[in-house]
Amino acid sequence: MTYRPLRRALLSSTMLALPAAAMAAEDLNALVWCDHTDPALIEPFEQEHGIRVNLREYEGTATALALLEQSRPGDWDVLVIDAIDVPRAVDAGLMAELPADQLATTDFFPGVAMEAQTQVDGKTYAVTEKFGYNTVSFNSDKVDAADMQDLSTIWSEKYKDRIAVYDYYLPVMGLAAIANDIDTGNITANDLPTLKETLFTMKDNARSVGEVVASQTALATGEVDIVIGGGEWLTAVLAEEQPELTWTIPDQGAVRWAQSIGVLETSENKDLAVEFVKYITGPEGQARLATSSCYWGMPANQKAGAHLSDAQKKVLRWDDQPEYLKRAQLYPAPDADLDGQMQDVWLEMLQH
Amino acid sequence: MRRAIPWIYMALAYAFIFLPVVTLVLFSFQDGRLPVPPFNGPTLKWYADVLGDTRLMSALGNSLLVGAGSAALSCALGFLAAYGLARHVLPGALLLRGLLIAPMTVSYLIIGLGLLIVFNNYGPGPSLWAAGVGHVVINLPLAFAIIYASMGAQQENAERAARDLGASEGRVLTLVTIPMLAPAILAAFFLCLTLSWDEFIIAFLMTRFDVTLPVEIWSLLRSGLSPRTNAIGSLVFLVSVALVIGLEIFIFGRKRR
Amino acid sequence: MSGWKCFSIDGPALMARPDTIRGWGFVAPALIWTLAFFVVPFGVMAAMSLATLDGRELVWGFSLENYTRLFGQSYLLRAITVSLEITLTVTIVSIVLAYPLAWIIAYRVPARWQRLALLLAILPFWTSYVVRSYAWLLVLSREGVINQTLLGLGVISEPLTLASTRFATVTGFVHFFVMLLTLTIYANLVQLPANYRRAAIDLGASSWQAFRHVVLPLTMPGIATGAFLTFVLCIGDYITPQILGGNNELTGPQIIMVQLGRGANFPLAAAMSIVLMALVTLAYLAASRWLRLDRL
Repeated sequence: MTYRPLRRALLSSTMLALPAAAMAAEDLNALVWCDHTDPALIEPFEQEHGIRVNLREYEGTATALALLEQSRPGDWDVLVIDAIDVPRAVDAGLMAELPADQLATTDFFPGVAMEAQTQVDGKTYAVTEKFGYNTVSFNSDKVDAADMQDLSTIWSEKYKDRIAVYDYYLPVMGLAAIANDIDTGNITANDLPTLKETLFTMKDNARSVGEVVASQTALATGEVDIVIGGGEWLTAVLAEEQPELTWTIPDQGAVRWAQSIGVLETSENKDLAVEFVKYITGPEGQARLATSSCYWGMPANQKAGAHLSDAQKKVLRWDDQPEYLKRAQLYPAPDADLDGQMQDVWLEMLQH
Repeated sequence: MRRAIPWIYMALAYAFIFLPVVTLVLFSFQDGRLPVPPFNGPTLKWYADVLGDTRLMSALGNSLLVGAGSAALSCALGFLAAYGLARHVLPGALLLRGLLIAPMTVSYLIIGLGLLIVFNNYGPGPSLWAAGVGHVVINLPLAFAIIYASMGAQQENAERAARDLGASEGRVLTLVTIPMLAPAILAAFFLCLTLSWDEFIIAFLMTRFDVTLPVEIWSLLRSGLSPRTNAIGSLVFLVSVALVIGLEIFIFGRKRR
Repeated sequence: MSGWKCFSIDGPALMARPDTIRGWGFVAPALIWTLAFFVVPFGVMAAMSLATLDGRELVWGFSLENYTRLFGQSYLLRAITVSLEITLTVTIVSIVLAYPLAWIIAYRVPARWQRLALLLAILPFWTSYVVRSYAWLLVLSREGVINQTLLGLGVISEPLTLASTRFATVTGFVHFFVMLLTLTIYANLVQLPANYRRAAIDLGASSWQAFRHVVLPLTMPGIATGAFLTFVLCIGDYITPQILGGNNELTGPQIIMVQLGRGANFPLAAAMSIVLMALVTLAYLAASRWLRLDRL
């Protein structure tokens, strides 16, 4: 009796290894963004195939790559990743080739398939699934909508303490670059002092810098009237109750975000993983993903339109997309070195 | 007037202590998307929503499992160590006690980071089990300290008497020591349970697919402002309070009489 | 404190009496657990803080690069001072607020109501920790309870800026630690024989003098234990500043989580942890005279 707790302790430490082994081959393990965790999106697939999809959210690409490299082969099947970071993942040898002929990319909005990023040497490694804009969200009752067409007015003295900045360095630094006439795709270390200055101006006039919910809360509760870096993903969820919360793309342009989905090279379940990718990028999956509970965004596949209501399309600005796509630039895609430096500048801004 | 000051202070202090809780619970009944004033009148829809959310409910189950498991293991290890140290002469006992208590003086984040590095590089990777291991690390010192502090001369005499009457060490432990220490062991168990049940950072770092409730609430929080968060927060609060009050009445209440 | 203590455990005395050997047997499971899952990870983390990153590749070694960065780059050093400032403010404010409350419960509330009064004072302990900070956000925001009440009463004409400030972070922390300290100080107060204070007053001390020279020194263990726990929990906390601080300044734990979440920079995160750990050690040394951690 006395030693039973000890035995139990030893037993439970050996059983630590169990859950990994117990994970049935019929489970699909996906490393994703929060919009994929909506049961309304995942459950139909689970039921159709009679399997379980295990989901884990992550924040930055660097973390995802580190996590994947530390995992054992077979741990992960599907990865959702920033479309611009696909080449990084392919370089690291993490992505498996997708059967291009089975994908619905021909139905995509023009330019959204992003072949330059999702294909390497003519092989497809990921599919764009959802996109939108990091631009400016605002309360149209409280600020002059005309002012929102000019980036430098947005973060000027005029709106001091009425601004929140979205806490993610890539899109907001992209906006800063656009304001300074620098192409988001061509940011170099030499541009960082300029960008830093713009960020410091933003910070001086901003009330807070926050993640999705913090910025959303701040805007919805009137804590601030403007969110820099916001967009449909921030305000669409609130549209029904607070129609005055809206967003626009300033004259200089905005940053376009795009997330893509792919299958991992070490997956032991590739067929099912490809099925999942096809489901997510198919019309129904796309409609569900576009209006997922975490955040909304435009589906890459135009056929999703058939499964969306007119009200939903209106909130997503379905009809304005051709115009918006023209004016928006892609997320910055720094290499590891520049990425580190950009993060440093961002943290400096936070402590400013 | 001077006699009233303490009571005024007490009232203000209680107001401060209860302000966020009352706000939390009140706006869990908010009929609208935003849990801020004005209060639009009561609805139970957020509770129905939360109770019907399979992810939240399975996270709740995970939390109870990890909490109960890690609390039980903490108490078992803590009890054995306390018995070993209180009833036997050990060289370096002071250092041993210091070592067992040490995790209490280290931030959870740091314990979690250390475990994460080790589990990632040399271990089986993150899982609920890993979170449980972390929770035993933080709860073991507490369980040990509580049980060790309650091992007095009274039990020692009873143990000696039992031994003189021919009881084996195992029988002494199970028939004398553990029953006499039951209140302390139970108190330690429930304290560990509530701490583990509510622990965030270690669980956040150490879990992967199946997560505990605080981690699930955190991702709920990150995905939007909603009275749902108030509802699940209020539920957790009510369950914990019921547990505490039950404990107070059934265990400590009985002891006093 | 723990860091080095663990390396100087006396080796098991193999020649010892059977009683001692059996004692070791009882202690062994807890000891092994603590060594395997606390001491070893801590050691690995300390080693990690001396490693560097080459791109995404981890290079083990003995480099002080992470530490020179921590103290050389202003925003990282600032995170350490911000953490320290917030923690010290919280510790002091919590003691000052909690002591009178504990005192009132111990000496003014009739004995039969004391347990209830204490239970009430610490009841919100059991709100979920993550939700508690969120609830403060609802209270402090521009449209929140406080501003709306004050506006309604006509006390202020413009909403006050309360959320997304250091004030908000400190308030969230103080709320939690006032409860903790009330508990530890109360536990200490009720152990004091009432006649100590009475004796001092009978001998001609004023009630202030009686407090200052008799009660306060005797309650130092309760204060120190609570204050030390406050320090440890506060300096390592990520959630409260993250939700309430509005990212207007970053604390050490926030830097750690950013390094893990965005950059996967484990070495820098480990170095920051070691620095926070060193601060906790200093606090421990400052409070050690009165600490009774193993007699909670």
